[in-house]
Amino acid sequence: MLIFRVHISMRNGAPLLHIPDGFLDVYWITITYLATIGYFTIIGKRSRSIFRPEKISTITTIAAIVFVAQMFNWPIPGGTSLHFLGSALAGIILGPALGSIALALVLVVQALVFHDGGITTLGANILNMAIIGVLTGYATFRFFMRLLKNTDRKKRIFISSFMAGWISLFIAGIACGVEIGLSPRFPYGVLITIPVMGIWHLVLGVVEGIITGLIVLYVYERNPHLVMGLEGI
Amino acid sequence: MEKKLLILLIFMVFLSPIFGVILAEKVGYHEPLDIAASLLGLEEHDIVNYHTPFEDYTFPGLGPVAGYIASGLLGVAIILAIDIIASKLVKSR
Repeated sequence: MLIFRVHISMRNGAPLLHIPDGFLDVYWITITYLATIGYFTIIGKRSRSIFRPEKISTITTIAAIVFVAQMFNWPIPGGTSLHFLGSALAGIILGPALGSIALALVLVVQALVFHDGGITTLGANILNMAIIGVLTGYATFRFFMRLLKNTDRKKRIFISSFMAGWISLFIAGIACGVEIGLSPRFPYGVLITIPVMGIWHLVLGVVEGIITGLIVLYVYERNPHLVMGLEGI
Repeated sequence: MEKKLLILLIFMVFLSPIFGVILAEKVGYHEPLDIAASLLGLEEHDIVNYHTPFEDYTFPGLGPVAGYIASGLLGVAIILAIDIIASKLVKSR
């Protein structure tokens, strides 16, 4: 337990969400792959409008931005490092369906080309970051936009994006903790993995929130129509 | 993708080793869950023996900094290639 606490929760601060090979047992690999495939099958069937050239270009643009942003590890003395995840950003700018596709594209390229995140755990990583992270980020943004309806619009967008970035990273961290904690291959159970992953991502989520808020506000000021999460608000 | 944005992304890729390699080495940064796997003795499944020449953002024949930049450019190029191929496929339907 000491090793896990020290090296997971204290030593490193990057979003700890790219699960490598070896953490999940066959059941969890199967469950997470099936959940991911099921989600994208539903998206494919329900959102035929996705498959238009201009939509594809928007997805790949956000994917390229997130991919490059994730290459910026900001090291902190003591062996800690931070980098941006981008799930909430993708959900707010593209909406939940396209945002999930953009993040999944990044994760597939990272895993297959650079082996950043495992192959057996790709389903879990997509589930945590491209599905749970994006959906949570989008829903949180919409919730706070409605909650703060009497606030100045720019402030409202920044605060809502900030909360979306923060909460989405926290929830994605919890999901990751559940998966590795319930997997018999990992020697620590959910009573350890969930608090460790949850608390650490709650702290890291503040930085994720600030970056998400600044980028969404910048995009909104340049072209408000590009922020799909604002539709109907 | 807009040309200006692409230039900005390429510029960012060239800056990224400052954080992703040089400063990361100074503070001894490694992927957190990789460290845990190594400490806990977790091994990869036998069904997966996956290797790529660009493992952990390296590039064959290049040092860590140049390799990180080349990997970043490769990643962006792959995403752009997917954009072009997918757009053509959709248009042809």
